[in-house]
Amino acid sequence: MSVGTLLRHLWRRHRAALLLLAAGNGFFAWAITRVVPDASRTGLIRELVDMAPAPVRIFLGEELVANLSARGFLGFGYVHPFPLILLSVWVVRVAAGALAGEAGQGTMDLIGSRPVGRGAHVAAAALAILAGVAAIAAAGWAGTAVGLHLRPLAGVSASELLPVAAMSALLFAGAGGVALLVSATRRDGGAAVSWCAGLLAGSYVLDYLARVWAAIAFLRPLSLFRYYEPQRILRAGVAGTDVLVLSAVAAVGLALALAVFARRDL
Amino acid sequence: MPRAGAGAGADERGPPLSQALATDGLTKRFGAVRALEDLSLRVEEGEVFGFLGPNGAGKTTTIRLLLGLLSPSAGSATVLGHRVTRRGSAWRAGVGYLPGEVAFWPQLTGRVTLDFLGRLSRRPVVDQAALLERLGLDEETLRRPVRTYSDGMRQKLGLVQALQCRPRLALLDEPTKGLDPLVQEAFHALIAEARRDGMTVFVSSHVLSEVERLCDRVAMLREGRLVFAGDVDELRRSQRRRVVATFAADVDHLALGHFGEVLAASPREVVLRVAQEELPALVARLGMLPVNDLVVEPPSLEEAFLEHYR
Repeated sequence: MSVGTLLRHLWRRHRAALLLLAAGNGFFAWAITRVVPDASRTGLIRELVDMAPAPVRIFLGEELVANLSARGFLGFGYVHPFPLILLSVWVVRVAAGALAGEAGQGTMDLIGSRPVGRGAHVAAAALAILAGVAAIAAAGWAGTAVGLHLRPLAGVSASELLPVAAMSALLFAGAGGVALLVSATRRDGGAAVSWCAGLLAGSYVLDYLARVWAAIAFLRPLSLFRYYEPQRILRAGVAGTDVLVLSAVAAVGLALALAVFARRDL
Repeated sequence: MPRAGAGAGADERGPPLSQALATDGLTKRFGAVRALEDLSLRVEEGEVFGFLGPNGAGKTTTIRLLLGLLSPSAGSATVLGHRVTRRGSAWRAGVGYLPGEVAFWPQLTGRVTLDFLGRLSRRPVVDQAALLERLGLDEETLRRPVRTYSDGMRQKLGLVQALQCRPRLALLDEPTKGLDPLVQEAFHALIAEARRDGMTVFVSSHVLSEVERLCDRVAMLREGRLVFAGDVDELRRSQRRRVVATFAADVDHLALGHFGEVLAASPREVVLRVAQEELPALVARLGMLPVNDLVVEPPSLEEAFLEHYR
């Protein structure tokens, strides 16, 4: 019962942000379907891509660079920083606000003085994060589906991108587990936001640098983004190990957050 | 180490009821800082208990320990018959809490805030309407976001959320902070009624007149240590009286010096601070002098408080 009450409380606090983030992701995915070049323009783009330095081509993704296909462009849309930032904002906002944020602004005293177990706080925040990333990722896929319906592209169906959207949700479920753990250890929301945003940005940069710079390639498995490669998903399907790793990070982060939050002073 | 709970007040009220809260050697350290040291208190069910101390004395830390928001470095606390731990929270259904620095969610309305906190309390919200009326919070105000409230309105909202489910034990940290005198009066009346209904009220305050008026017993903290616990009357009795004697003729005030501390003296007036047990002897001695007027002022709680903190 407490988890439900706390979830409704989180919904009241974050619903406007969730609607904006979901709408933004949906609009961006739709916009990508509008700018995917048709076959008549791929020659010019091929020349531009070939002229680009290696780090830029790595950023664009293997499928896009190799085939310059519509599928490749759509896959690039799912790894573009814009949707990743939208999903990060949700994860950081809810995780930092629910535990460290409530403690820092003093409202945790009002909740913590009631017959609510500490596990309920963490569980409600975890459910809110999962529901939010699912909604934002689903909105992104819906944007792609609407865009492809309005502008059909040869050889591409929206259903092919469904596993990509699901994996983006799973990526940020993993990030949510880490963010909850960070929030459970902090005393104010500002510090939690800084740590969570820093860790997510660091993970993204590490993945990119490890792909560009062979000397640190061995560090790539430490990044969450290593386990989310939309163009590989489009080419070869979802890798079971990626699902396993991201699920494990989410579960371990949540379990540690529960353990830490249950033992700390509020 | 003074201990509350076995004072003379218990005899005056008849046999003690079950304890609403008890602490045993409760200690809290934040690193090298000792916020609370070896606090042992007993508060009986149905009494209004004042918890006094200057800022930083450990009052808020004690309340947060009683709620399980903090874990003790040593010692233990029992609230409504349940040992306070971080695990298990059902006992908190019987507790209403007003934090010393009450904070709300700025974007939520007062109405949504009260409903949310009422649902979390897992007790029927039986007194909300009456509290809102008595404290002067109307529905129009409750429809506004809390960020638009003044400090006084926030404090009223804090009192309503703490008391709206008619808790068995109310822990109120600085309850009248920011309230105007009329609302303070209404709050005092509410507490008097709550006491008649059997609610236990634990009031942390440094407004001495308020504690003097509301409370059956008080405890005083100084730098995290209990320096007094007992009845308000007992506390007053333990303090020295201020005696002003005016004479019809010149007298030698040195003859009165051994009864107490001479605060001021002139040939026809002497002001003394005298322990209660010295009063009969002083009055007998004054009877031998040409006394024109004699005033014996009972000590206020404020004087008692200041004497403990000097």
